[in-house]
Amino acid sequence: MKRLAACGVLAILGVALAPASPPPFAERVRQVIDAYAYPKGADAGYATIAAKLKRRADPAWCSRRLIELLDQGPTGDMFWMFPVTAIAYLDQGQLSPEARHALRRAWRTYMPFRGDTENHWLLYYASLYLMAQKWPNEPGETWFSGKSSAENFREADAWIRSWVDLTTTRGQGEYDCTHYLGVFLLPMSYLAAWAEDPQMKKRASLMLDYLIADYAAENLEGIYVGSHARTDDRQVVEKWGGVSSDFGWLLFGLGYPLEPHAGYALFYSLASAYEPPPILQRIAADRDRPFTHRERKRTRNRWRYHDELHGPVYKTTYLRREYAVSSDQGGVLQPVQQHSWDITWSVPDPRGVHNTFFTVHPYSSVFELQTYFTMGPDSVTEEVVRSKRTYDSPDKLLGGSPHERIFQDEDTVIALYDIPPGTRFPHVNGFFSKDLALVEEHPSGWIFARGGDAWIACRPLQPYFWKPIEGGGRRLFSPYLKNGFVVQAAPASEYPSLRAFQQAILALPLRLRTDPVPAVAFRSLRGRHLEFAYDAEPAVDGRRRDFAAWPLFGGPFLNAPVDSRMLKISHGGEERVLDFRTLTVTERPTQGRSR
Amino acid sequence: MADWIRVLWVALAASAPLPAQFLLTACMVNSRAYVVGARLPASGLSVRDAAGIWRHTGFNHPLVTALDYDPRQPDTLYLAAGNGCIRAANRGRDWRILTGEEVTELRDVAVDRLTPGTLYIAHPAGIRVSRDGGASWQDASRGIPRKFTMSVALDRTRAGHLVVGTETGLFFSADGGASWTPAGAAGFQVMRIQQSPHDPKLWLAATQLGGLFRSTDGGASWENLGAIGAGRNLYDVAFDPTAPERIAVGGWSVGVAVSADGGKTWTARNAGLPRPDVWSLAFDPARPGRLYAGVHEEALFVSDDAGLSWRKEGLEGTVIYRLTFIPAGGGR
Repeated sequence: MKRLAACGVLAILGVALAPASPPPFAERVRQVIDAYAYPKGADAGYATIAAKLKRRADPAWCSRRLIELLDQGPTGDMFWMFPVTAIAYLDQGQLSPEARHALRRAWRTYMPFRGDTENHWLLYYASLYLMAQKWPNEPGETWFSGKSSAENFREADAWIRSWVDLTTTRGQGEYDCTHYLGVFLLPMSYLAAWAEDPQMKKRASLMLDYLIADYAAENLEGIYVGSHARTDDRQVVEKWGGVSSDFGWLLFGLGYPLEPHAGYALFYSLASAYEPPPILQRIAADRDRPFTHRERKRTRNRWRYHDELHGPVYKTTYLRREYAVSSDQGGVLQPVQQHSWDITWSVPDPRGVHNTFFTVHPYSSVFELQTYFTMGPDSVTEEVVRSKRTYDSPDKLLGGSPHERIFQDEDTVIALYDIPPGTRFPHVNGFFSKDLALVEEHPSGWIFARGGDAWIACRPLQPYFWKPIEGGGRRLFSPYLKNGFVVQAAPASEYPSLRAFQQAILALPLRLRTDPVPAVAFRSLRGRHLEFAYDAEPAVDGRRRDFAAWPLFGGPFLNAPVDSRMLKISHGGEERVLDFRTLTVTERPTQGRSR
Repeated sequence: MADWIRVLWVALAASAPLPAQFLLTACMVNSRAYVVGARLPASGLSVRDAAGIWRHTGFNHPLVTALDYDPRQPDTLYLAAGNGCIRAANRGRDWRILTGEEVTELRDVAVDRLTPGTLYIAHPAGIRVSRDGGASWQDASRGIPRKFTMSVALDRTRAGHLVVGTETGLFFSADGGASWTPAGAAGFQVMRIQQSPHDPKLWLAATQLGGLFRSTDGGASWENLGAIGAGRNLYDVAFDPTAPERIAVGGWSVGVAVSADGGKTWTARNAGLPRPDVWSLAFDPARPGRLYAGVHEEALFVSDDAGLSWRKEGLEGTVIYRLTFIPAGGGR
């Protein structure tokens, strides 16, 4: 009990002190594991068993509880596979023969569904890989798949390698997710810790660097800034609320951890507990100078209505200490949970704060769902809404739209909408947070706002009115089909007053039209002449943006050409190169070429 | 090779019903509370035993969309499933996944009656064929522009002849899937293809929004029947093995419609069904006029008068993707 109480006190202190003085990495790992090994409540599941085994505590209870859980019947598909895989590897002689036998038997009697997304498959195959490795030379009759250990291993190995190849050449499909970041880090942590094949072990270690680098470059004090392949109704407005924030704290000591810690952070910690190298830690925290970071990702598998299985995603993120602005090109790149653009401003304590601004067309259609899902047309919306409740709501703030086009240059965003008549929800929603310090509608048509130390100017192309949002804030509602917004952010340090900011914005040349398609010509606060018309290539100072040359990663910290299978990480005169062709990491000085 | 099923059906139609010769199987899911990762009520394959009791068979699985079998070994079923093509031996009890990481979320499976060891699967990225009983697979969708495939059907009288239903219509192959020609229903997602048990030249295809299509030349060309289902989604079509002119279609907001004149005219047969949303249909080959319908998340319903009246027949709360009669005797 004393130990439990001490842990509780430590946990409270850890949370309270998190932003100012995070404990060292090893201590953060310990806190995460102990939170599960010694849970406050009575609900002790697989996670607690795994955490206790890691701590080599209560092995008799672990055995008993494992048998109880397995006797209840496994459930959860790949979300069952990964915890019991960890238990199998953390056992190390602690479990009773009966418990071990029950665990082995479950992999014969329970067939997990492999699922239908990238994260499902990665969890499924990483777990299957490790269990086939653990129980080699066993016949098909002993596995749910009916395949021998060797067959299971080969299949899992092939898919994992193909996923790494695809990710390092064309990008992730479920990219930059506030929640699902954890389910990509977790299997790589497992393989880095427990794969016996040196190449797989190395591949997974490199992927940990790769995924963590991707996140490090696009976080603001631990918050994963948008756009995202997937987020959810809460996290799209309360940007801190995702598993990624737990990893921001765990990996870098940034921001605030979740309470309780995410299970994904636990299982990451139970396996490799990989501490990012110093260069990634510096990149995660360095917001001294503004920078633009570009990424190319890919769409989820498009089963219908497209000639190519994957389409490109062109992502732009501008970050500075006060805020971040991030966007994709618009369109439906992922079903249901896509988040295409936003401004996220920094706040001292983001918990419960809606520190973001964005606009969306609330799109809902069988076309979208049949593009990405294999279900039939009549029940698919009903099935999706059962777990993604706002999908078919006109009020929603989540999701992409085929009628949205976005162009970003530094901290300027132009979002245009051309919604065909007859579209299910023929309007545009704008999210105006409860946590904006001010919102002023100017006679010029601009709306001025302030969030944290960020000024925001938003110029709707069409009239609008306001609707309240449950949970706080207001929704800009504009029921015009040809629509759009010009949005400019700026740091409060550059404009000491609202009036100064307004004067600067109002002095900028701006031309708007909505027919035949929405179009904008605008000189940004950064002095660039921006031109963008719906479905046309955007131009900066008269030069068309070259999407063909868009890199897999491009910016001051991360660089990789498309199809390269490499990632160059740079910071502070140092360079770390991940080469997936040779499975090597090279570290070298850059003679001042990187910031 | 003899036309095994046709001979059997003709014999059945001419003689007293022999219900024990067939078992009804259902590819089904208890979908109401399920998303990936959640607890799954009994789902996958259910077989109705000789006593009329439904028994969930094999593993619990949320996506078994179709099954087929080789008449030479009817004890072994082949399932189109979320995890791949599954060989379910021992009448569905012992499963082995035959495919690997190259396919997912299968929509259909067809066993070649004329070429032992050959089976085809329809999946979201095309068609694959195995010529060694599922030990190895090759892509068989070269030349098809958009790959999403919901249905595959083999001609039981002509080796290597098959029709697939894709996102953009029907495609016909006379060389075992090595090459394809567009055959009809252009622009429509095809949901289900069936060959008549009475006339091997006669085929029907149900589509999303396009209605019902018919081929009278063994699947090489198709025409729209026009009279049923246009603007709606038809999920299944069934020939009555005991009545050459009787056909049924099932669909969303269509329910069950039955034609007694080979598709010239149709009559809605929904009196007694709780909702007009039907996924699957099957005529009982051993009981003339008996028709089964899987109604969306309600139950399986059965009619003994070709749809004039219905009663519940189990599998409450399920979506039934496919109803298939399999020989009861088996090979054991």
